[in-house]
Amino acid sequence: MTMAALMERRLRISGMLIVLGLLVEALSLIRIHPLAFLGFMFVGGGFLIAGIAMYLYSLVSITAPPEVK
Amino acid sequence: MSTALSPATLLYVLIGVTIVLVATIVIRPSLTATRGGKQLAFVVLFLLPVVVASMGASEHMERSKQTQFCLSCHVMDPYGRSLHIDDAMYVPAAHFQNARIPRDEACYTCHTDYVMYGSILAKVRGMRHVYVQYLGTIPKPIQLYSPYNNRECLHCHAGARSFEEGVVHTADPSIMASIKANQLSCLTSGCHENVHAVAHLSELKFWEPK
Repeated sequence: MTMAALMERRLRISGMLIVLGLLVEALSLIRIHPLAFLGFMFVGGGFLIAGIAMYLYSLVSITAPPEVK
Repeated sequence: MSTALSPATLLYVLIGVTIVLVATIVIRPSLTATRGGKQLAFVVLFLLPVVVASMGASEHMERSKQTQFCLSCHVMDPYGRSLHIDDAMYVPAAHFQNARIPRDEACYTCHTDYVMYGSILAKVRGMRHVYVQYLGTIPKPIQLYSPYNNRECLHCHAGARSFEEGVVHTADPSIMASIKANQLSCLTSGCHENVHAVAHLSELKFWEPK
């Protein structure tokens, strides 16, 4: 797998995790209830943190190939 | 007519916009190959989610102050009902019915700690309440973690004429000092001892709001 393909794959996974987190956050805002708060904090927050961490990891872990002179 | 968006509506809009932008990158990750695409990815996959999560946390913190939030656990039903006791001798009921506290934040107003990080501490205790509600054993009767601190009463009453010049409060100079130092409890000293009275609700009359 090329570096570009690996990067794209990680961006996709990161994006999907973030979308899941955002959907959970949107759902948690429907009701005023302690479980909605917990869902937001731990489920939605967990997906968001995982997605953001995945994105940041992809930035630092995949290096561009050396330039050909 | 005001056309300002409520924080919740603004949050929904921002969530929607972020989802669309993130979905665009998920569907076409090759967009990020260019310099502009990389900048877009940083905004969409990092900055926007952080902003949305922060706004969501703030909105949930505000919602968790609402009376409706506290009373959503069945175990709190009697406490909510006690706010409607038709007797001015009952302190929470008198405060609630006469709008001396915001009705939609009644529990929080009297039961938060008015100290630095008091709101955060209240939320941490709230997490423990949720744990006990769903996974633990609810104590009977429910009791405060520590004796009610006069500080919470004085947050509003200190400086008020009815309090500062009250006949009983000023009967002896030491009384006011003791109240303000939390040495003489407002509630348990025998002056304002009628609070939620959940054990006696069946014997009391209730106010029906018109």
